Amino acid sequence: MINFILNGQEVASHAKVNDRLLDILRTEFRLTGVKCGCKEGECGACSVILNGRLVNSCLVAMGSIEGSTVMTIEGYCETERFTVLDKAYAAVSAVQCGFCIPGMMLASECILAKNPNPTDAEIREGISGNLCRCTGYNAIVEAIGIAAKEGQGLW
Amino acid sequence: MVKGYMVTSLQEALELRAREAVTPYAGGTDLMIDTNEHATYLFLNKIPELRNIVADKENIRIGAGCTYTDILESDIAPAILKEAVAQIAAPAIRNLGTVGGNICNGSPKADSALIFFATNAKLRLASSRGERIIPINEFYLGRKKTVLQADELLVEILMNRTGISNYYYKKVGARDALAISRVSFAAILNIEDEKIVSCRTAFGAVTDVIIRRADIDAMLIGKTVEEAKIIKAVYLSAYDQAIVPIKGRISAEYRKAVCMNLLRDFLEKNGI
Repeated sequence: MINFILNGQEVASHAKVNDRLLDILRTEFRLTGVKCGCKEGECGACSVILNGRLVNSCLVAMGSIEGSTVMTIEGYCETERFTVLDKAYAAVSAVQCGFCIPGMMLASECILAKNPNPTDAEIREGISGNLCRCTGYNAIVEAIGIAAKEGQGLW
Repeated sequence: MVKGYMVTSLQEALELRAREAVTPYAGGTDLMIDTNEHATYLFLNKIPELRNIVADKENIRIGAGCTYTDILESDIAPAILKEAVAQIAAPAIRNLGTVGGNICNGSPKADSALIFFATNAKLRLASSRGERIIPINEFYLGRKKTVLQADELLVEILMNRTGISNYYYKKVGARDALAISRVSFAAILNIEDEKIVSCRTAFGAVTDVIIRRADIDAMLIGKTVEEAKIIKAVYLSAYDQAIVPIKGRISAEYRKAVCMNLLRDFLEKNGI
């Protein structure tokens, strides 16, 4: 058994230690907001927040997360910060097909958690590991900037 | 039955390594790309001894299990290392990937290993039999081949505290984020009393092992900048012969041209 905290709950996984966190989140825990894009750390669609840091869940073996804290988009949706980001993304239509968005949201959270008033360059650096084939990124950068203004005090 | 070991101390890790054929798992970012169903992983990411970055009189000592993010957030990690690490992959991978993994993976494209070559860093390897400290250029035997024994682990990297501040670093990749080096180059030059006291260059992603030719760099030692200018052509021509890139996705000719341009630029930036 591998014990960890998933979206605030203590859980025990029956996964093998070599399994990818990505696959286990989707199959054992039915958290399908974690998307499988490339399985090689290139696209960021599988991003989760592990012990407070953004990581690609496709690059994490289950055996390495014993005792860790994992947050996926499903857990993040319950937060006030998410609501601010969600509104900001919607305000500038920063979402099209939606495939990259769970990872993009969690990357946005990590940018703002590190720096509540990021510059455009810092935002672009923060989402540089998250590929989006629809928006062209400018709308996403704008949305994160709006969330930073609207969410004063939350981050 | 797939097994794996989650250990919390270096001693425990070394005992297991001595007893069984295990694959050390640090950040996982290289291992998980090419997953091996049958590997028995020895998970090292919960070992506090491997996560320290400390300074002693002579060295900055970087724990092999430090992630790239740990290095970027450290107050004492040298600027040359931070600059290279900041260009590795993207934040999510920098949060996982470790310098120890980067070195032990044995790739000539390892961007942090390049810096350790250019700074003449040493590696502390430990086993339950004891430990040894070796210069990083003695660690590699070829692509994916190192001198690390089956019962050993890389514990820390020792970087000399002084003489590494006047550096030059360039990574040439296809784009900014998530680019694998096509060519990477790091160099250090120190001048004291108008004489060159040290010149160290390292070329990454060119051949099976990072190129570090102290014998060629020695040509410039003891020379003034003016004297170095006089032998510049000979120095460049020695590297022109020494650098024989292997063909990959990028042509050998391209790699060679970039190496020589970077070397020339490094010299010119230092007035040579």
